Amino acid sequence: RSLIQTKDSSDICDTTFHLMIIFVFQHIRKIDGGNGPARYRVLMSDGRHTMSSFMLSTQLNCMAEDNRLSPNCVCVLRRHVTNILKDGRRVVIILELDVLKHAEEVAGKIGDPTPYTEGQSKGPQTAAPAPEVRAPLQPQNRNEGECEPLNRGFNRDFGKKAPSAMPSTPGGGSKVVPIASLNPYQSKWTVRARIINKSSIRTWSNTRGDGKLFSMEMVDESGEIRVTGFNQEVDKFYSLVEVGKVYYVSKASLKIANKQYTSVKNDYEMTLNGESTIIPCDDGGDVPMVQCEFVTIADLESRDKDAIVDVIGVCKSVDEVTRLTTKANREVSKRTLNLMDMSGKVVTVTLWGEEAEKFDGSGQPIVAIKAAKLSDFGGRSLSASFSSTLMINPDIPEAYKLRGWYDKEGHAVDGQSLTELRGSGGGGNTNWKTLTDVKTEHLGHGEKADYYSCIATIVYLRKENCLYQACPSQDCNKKVVDQQNGMFRCEKCDREFPNFKYRLILSANIADSGDNQWVTCFQESAEAILGQNAAYLGQLKDSNESAFDEVFQNANFNTFVFRNRVKLEMYNDESRIKATVVDVKPVDHKDYIKRLIMNIRKLAAQ
Amino acid sequence: MAGILDVPKSRVNCSMLSQHINRAVCFVGRVEQVHPSGKSFSVSDGEGKRATVELSDPLEEELSGVVEVVGTVSAKGAILASCYTLLREDKGVAFDLELYNEALKLVQDFPQHYPFQAAASG
Repeated sequence: RSLIQTKDSSDICDTTFHLMIIFVFQHIRKIDGGNGPARYRVLMSDGRHTMSSFMLSTQLNCMAEDNRLSPNCVCVLRRHVTNILKDGRRVVIILELDVLKHAEEVAGKIGDPTPYTEGQSKGPQTAAPAPEVRAPLQPQNRNEGECEPLNRGFNRDFGKKAPSAMPSTPGGGSKVVPIASLNPYQSKWTVRARIINKSSIRTWSNTRGDGKLFSMEMVDESGEIRVTGFNQEVDKFYSLVEVGKVYYVSKASLKIANKQYTSVKNDYEMTLNGESTIIPCDDGGDVPMVQCEFVTIADLESRDKDAIVDVIGVCKSVDEVTRLTTKANREVSKRTLNLMDMSGKVVTVTLWGEEAEKFDGSGQPIVAIKAAKLSDFGGRSLSASFSSTLMINPDIPEAYKLRGWYDKEGHAVDGQSLTELRGSGGGGNTNWKTLTDVKTEHLGHGEKADYYSCIATIVYLRKENCLYQACPSQDCNKKVVDQQNGMFRCEKCDREFPNFKYRLILSANIADSGDNQWVTCFQESAEAILGQNAAYLGQLKDSNESAFDEVFQNANFNTFVFRNRVKLEMYNDESRIKATVVDVKPVDHKDYIKRLIMNIRKLAAQ
Repeated sequence: MAGILDVPKSRVNCSMLSQHINRAVCFVGRVEQVHPSGKSFSVSDGEGKRATVELSDPLEEELSGVVEVVGTVSAKGAILASCYTLLREDKGVAFDLELYNEALKLVQDFPQHYPFQAAASG
């Protein structure tokens, strides 16, 4: 039986799903695709004919790399698509393949297959005479002997269009193909996919100019892909595309995905260009919503830091929105909520920006997050970044199951949190240490500074040189030089002022039960420790030295929650740990007790 | 029991009372109901369990809120109070009975680190 020759030949090319063809695997060769993943080209035989224009989809690369595919093994092609290259050549991409019989179980080559050629085909020939076929992706012909015969070309056969099993596209465009089959080597395609996530418009400005971009993610039954649009495409498509709806997308450029910026499971990503089209699809009900692989909250403990996970849970409680300023001086909103699932564990999730502002936790909704980032701050916590998708009461079976469980019994479960008790010294990301821990764990010795929180008591404050004369202009805290003529000069502002403002830079020695540590406190933290503002202290220093001393005496032996930054720094060729106080807060005793109790129980369990 | 204030006392919750019969204890709980005679009142601990406090003399003041009672445990498991202190809730931070109960359990679970029990029985 020659499958390639008979009717099936068109099926190989035009049907996408559920066709099972048994092949004898003949030969495989690796094609290095530049900086992208390697591709494997496969020579297959049906016993009578051979064909070499099969490619393994990259997600099957492991089959080749694990040597599960060896010459003469018998395979079933379960899912495949055919790509038509610009010049009419066709390549069959194997999406799903099972090995029926391993090579060892097969007595060598089956039959005496010959390369499949055009003359053996049926039906009218519409295509032009076959150009010389060269494997589309191969940079060099290493295995000439094996591939050469095929150069006579089988492709003309496949030139005719067979009825497609896939939905047709509006406007008679190119055929609808699964997302999983997209690759940079073909340009005529359309995908029918649901938008599951759309970023806000982001802008950039650098020496080469300004610009803007947005990105979105879409899924179909075969997989998912990230799509990015720049400048004109932002204007053209951003407002058109709605999250949750299904669209036909075609003629975008494909390139190797930069995994640094995305957790989307696809080796490629799409960039919209001037020719791209996005057309709404009105009957896209069969296109899946979001593809999630939910991890139970209890299992988060065993996952690695920075892992990207999908979670679903009941929103047990939610905090108010807070606003904070990033290092880049941008103000962002932040909100934390606690999710519990049927494992009885609770995890704290941080939402950012618009999602933080809009989130409504009333009625304890089911919250699903696709691609949340796992952090090990304060035990285990999650963060929903711009590439995450947040869904409230999603229409998926997991959500209904969870709702039923929670309403029946889950509401009575006193969930145990994976995230350390919140509320003190910096929310979910508190890294509690004793001063002994800080030294034994060599915090600050790494490339980046380390931050930790501790509960410690002031044992000494160095009052000498704790105040300096600073530039009075707003936002400039540079030390001024006394010109001895009633004027004070700021080098940074390049100006002279008749006045200055006092600022604090206070050295303090803090101690806990295990160790002590010199720390530097700037303005706000120094004012919090001393209980007086810098201006008043400056006045006291100049006018009433005993009152000034008393402030320092009274501040001794007070206990605070310190948030400190430590970093190894070089001073005259000598490296020393520099500890700076980032924040000082009064001790919340209840919180502290809870943490102590938890630590004792944890120690006892070890 | 003249010297009850001088001897070491175990801090207990309701479920620990039966193990401390005839011994000096210190109990912290919320006043629930005062007997009309004024000679006894019921208290609840951080787990919500109830116990009875019996007084030798009738109360001379209104009692409500969190109270610390020092006394001995009767055969029936009531606390025969020698004295009590009301923890005013309008001053400072409200006393967290549940958290206090957690601390009691720690003391009980790790007597090697909190050797008050031995001293009390000795």
